[in-house]
Amino acid sequence: MSAIRSRVKILTPLFLIAFVAVCCAGLAAAQEKNSNSAAASSDPIIKAMLEELERSKSQVKMENVAAPYYIEYRISDVEEFDAEAAFGALRQDQRAHIRSARVVVRVGDYEQDSYYQQGQGVVEFAPLDDDAIALRRQLWAATDRAYKAASEALATKKAELSKYSADQPFDDFAKAPALQSIGPLARLDFSADDWKKTLAKTTDLFRTDPQIQSLSAILRFRAVNQYFVNTEGTITREGYAAYYLGLSAETQASDGMKLGRSPYYVAGTAAELPAPAKFEADTAKMLATLKQLREAPLVEEDYRGPVLFSNDAASDIFDSMIGRNILGNRPKPGDSSRTTGKFSSNYKGRVLPDFLTVVDDPTMKTFQGKTLVGSYEIDEEGVRAASVSVVKDGMLVNYLLGRTPIRDFPESNGHGRGGPGQAPMPSIGNLIVEPKEPVSPEELKKKLIEMCKQENKPYGYYVETLSGQDPRLLYRVYVDDGHEELVRGAVFNELDTRTLRNDLTAAGDDPLVSNREGNIPSTVICPSILFDELEVKRTEKKNAKLPEYPPPDLSSGH
Amino acid sequence: MTHFRLRFLLCCLLIFCAVPAFSSSAGSDAVMQTMQRELKRASAALAKSDPAPYYLSYAVTDTNAAVLYAENGGLLFSTSAQRRQVDVMMRVGSAALDNTHNKSRSTGITTGFLPLNDDSDAIARVLWQLTDREYEQASSAFLTVKTSKAVQSEEEDKSPDFSEESPQTHIGAARPPVSLKLKEWEERARKISAGFLKYPEVYDSAVSLQVSENRSYLATSDGASVERPSAISRLVIQAETRADDGMELMRVESFEAPSPAELPSDTELAAKVVKIAEDLKDLRAAPAAEPYAGPAMLSGRAAAVFFHEVLGHRLEGHRQRDESEGQTFTKKVNQLVLPAFLSVADDPTLHELNGVKLAGSYDFDDEGVPAERVIAVENGVLKNFLMSRMPVKDFDHSNGHGRRQPGLMPTGRQGNLIVTSTNSVTDAELRQKFIAEIKKQGKPYGLYFDDIQGGFTITERSMPQAFQVLPVMVYRVYADGRPDELVRGVDIVGTPLLSLNNIMVTGDKLQVFNGICGAESGQVPVAAAAPAMLFSEIEVQKRQRGTERPPILPPPGSEAPSTASKTKTAGGNRP
Repeated sequence: MSAIRSRVKILTPLFLIAFVAVCCAGLAAAQEKNSNSAAASSDPIIKAMLEELERSKSQVKMENVAAPYYIEYRISDVEEFDAEAAFGALRQDQRAHIRSARVVVRVGDYEQDSYYQQGQGVVEFAPLDDDAIALRRQLWAATDRAYKAASEALATKKAELSKYSADQPFDDFAKAPALQSIGPLARLDFSADDWKKTLAKTTDLFRTDPQIQSLSAILRFRAVNQYFVNTEGTITREGYAAYYLGLSAETQASDGMKLGRSPYYVAGTAAELPAPAKFEADTAKMLATLKQLREAPLVEEDYRGPVLFSNDAASDIFDSMIGRNILGNRPKPGDSSRTTGKFSSNYKGRVLPDFLTVVDDPTMKTFQGKTLVGSYEIDEEGVRAASVSVVKDGMLVNYLLGRTPIRDFPESNGHGRGGPGQAPMPSIGNLIVEPKEPVSPEELKKKLIEMCKQENKPYGYYVETLSGQDPRLLYRVYVDDGHEELVRGAVFNELDTRTLRNDLTAAGDDPLVSNREGNIPSTVICPSILFDELEVKRTEKKNAKLPEYPPPDLSSGH
Repeated sequence: MTHFRLRFLLCCLLIFCAVPAFSSSAGSDAVMQTMQRELKRASAALAKSDPAPYYLSYAVTDTNAAVLYAENGGLLFSTSAQRRQVDVMMRVGSAALDNTHNKSRSTGITTGFLPLNDDSDAIARVLWQLTDREYEQASSAFLTVKTSKAVQSEEEDKSPDFSEESPQTHIGAARPPVSLKLKEWEERARKISAGFLKYPEVYDSAVSLQVSENRSYLATSDGASVERPSAISRLVIQAETRADDGMELMRVESFEAPSPAELPSDTELAAKVVKIAEDLKDLRAAPAAEPYAGPAMLSGRAAAVFFHEVLGHRLEGHRQRDESEGQTFTKKVNQLVLPAFLSVADDPTLHELNGVKLAGSYDFDDEGVPAERVIAVENGVLKNFLMSRMPVKDFDHSNGHGRRQPGLMPTGRQGNLIVTSTNSVTDAELRQKFIAEIKKQGKPYGLYFDDIQGGFTITERSMPQAFQVLPVMVYRVYADGRPDELVRGVDIVGTPLLSLNNIMVTGDKLQVFNGICGAESGQVPVAAAAPAMLFSEIEVQKRQRGTERPPILPPPGSEAPSTASKTKTAGGNRP
């Protein structure tokens, strides 16, 4: 009974994320443009949200407990289409439509409030019909729970803070101007049948190489529309769509080393995904690289020297080493660090070489004709997105902030983002790495060779793609004639923020738009980069056994 | 309730996948043929490996499923999907000792998904891939098992890990296809769920429908080949309120049928909503239970749930050898465990009882063994356990009770648990005897349990909960003839099992309870049937109450009419 009754509220958002990730839907494009106020009053969801917000604001109050000073409602409407194929046949084909309601009630005041532990909001499912009563019931139930949880959270927080002597020199919650903005609704626009055929046809390429152990393709198309209202008078509606298409293939070298590739594409419109013929050609090329990898020599045990990263490989590095460390996430009470990231004590310090500048600009909608999935106008805290110069000439000058202030940064810069049902956190939108005096990729390769010559090395390394932080396609670039040789089994040693700060020597003029899809879509735009020194070594991972018996014969029908 | 609801949703999603058309349930020859071919190839090839598997099976579950969920007149979601889940089960070593021994049981299975169409090349590839992965897992687990067996003290039950059974070949006849009018049901669910809006004290409620149509294919290296169609539709109505002292009060009613068309009508469901809401209203107002030990009577349905939870789970064969289990009955075979007038059988071969279709019926279990009627307790004497292919001391063979949810290893499970009595009286006599017993014991009142929920009613996956009984509708029956009085928050104290020996006499009509039961091997449909029962003593205490207060504001729409009408919008048309 206790297990049934006990509310594991923390599960709720996690569940939603999981669910939404599992889910999805394709409908004809319908873009609506309305004047803000008229749209706000005609949108049945916003209307119901405002009605319940008004009631909560004026009436939610318990005896001997402070009334809320702030309440917000966010409804996230998610339509998703998921499909997967393997070995030429469809295995999954699912559409889902789901709405979540997230309610935050804050007790206390801007200076010190209840946004702590269980006081960080309550999530409920919300009805798919625009039925006002059914929707308000969910908001009402969530508000009641959120208010009670907030009161308890504030008490817990005060008790926790009393252990530490220092006063917090900044507010708990940043003030933000009331904002009214009703954006167009995002809709998925694609042909499910065509895509299903494409997935099946593309993965049928496993037949071209008997040593390919698995080949699958997955797609997840998602349209998210978020409705937001708060007691400060902010009313917003904003939507986005993200189209994810991923491939995964595995093979094994004769020594048992597992070799896999998992390239993906993320686009803001279905039309920007590769066309079927292109997707198939890319897949064939990927399978060819797996064959090359199987036959490629093992990397030597140790190499320390120049390494050139393609713009694709560099985008992963900037995403993880810069993107995650410039977020203004506030540490736990009692921890006096500025943020939880690696750049918490680097404010006004150098984090990159002086020829690099980094800006996060969610307001940029396209680049080189490509839709940037990291674009948005209003963040999930109802704050207008701003372009933020984060790293200027290698110096850290700002952080990406939501409405949770950190030391010296009292205000949001419109980067408080959260996926459906999730608490907003500072996140990147469009992270743009801008080099001063960039050179062409050819020039970078020449530089690599020159540096190797100076160090009397027969070759340097060129990374085409990464998997996590390990090289997936790594080539030796020979000094004598510039030819490239693929190697396998390499990992980088000590590729970290320090290396990025001290060992980068040049960047290319080839910015790549790397759209990324997670709970929140984001984009990294960055060029190729050249490290003057980086350690490449052989992986210590043990090889797997080869399959116990051969794969089944293929029928002659194909 | 949120937690409960999430669990429910998760379960639904786990079962699933998206082709809205519930079409024919005819089998796919390509699937079975490819399974057989790959099974033969794998068995032959792996026989040369060291250590070698001695058993390999492929089990495919082709499911068409839909789930929808409504609250307060609004649809929270509705989705449908098709999925073909495949489980590769392998045993490395020998039947005497294999990789699945003891805690290592999960190494016997690897799960994946097959193509939705009958592309045999693709099906074969997936089977090969999963078999290779399973061999890697099973062979390394077997080495660990062998080592720990050598270093650990001897086990009490030295039974082998797997029983030998004669292989069966069976193709279940196609069932009539399940027709699900999704849009119609969405509207019905909305309407039924809106019934709770009239009751402001019901602060949380939901109506959900889960429909699934399955065809399972099993091919084993010992020669079994079984294809079985099955279908189940389940409608659940649940509602919750909180008493002023913070005690959470919940009612759940579920209905199972082979197809949605056979579920109760809207009128019946609407009446059930009213009943649930009224029950909750009454419960809110009812006095909290006081500690009590004395005569008690259980309705047939309550007794059925009680027996399923308290006795049925302890009859499951595998529990007799797991040393971490209570093993209540392990050494009680041929001893009296119940009053001599009671017998308990589990009979999956029975399809209907007193006009009610039984949810726990099947012809073959999930290990391809024919279902058998098992007399577990005969005239009070323990005779048998519900056996899968995991032998226990003195019980070497399966009796067709190896059941599982796709993705999990089978264990002995209940199907249709049926409690019969040779000491029965009419309902009226039973009540008379109840009152006489109350008087005899000098008690002011006895307790009448009209409804009990358990792990069986409320699907819980983890083990301790599966044995749980949660009395919901309990009445004080006064010796002095006062009307019966509802009490809330009754908790049965001590070992409920002991109270089984306090059964004095039973009613003369079997009542059936259908539900989904959760345990280690997942969720399986079950039924339980029992007559009403009179206990000389059951001990109860007051349930610990929650600390949260009832909602501060009344629910929207239930305030003064003027406000309510103002909030109506386009989607909100309801009577």
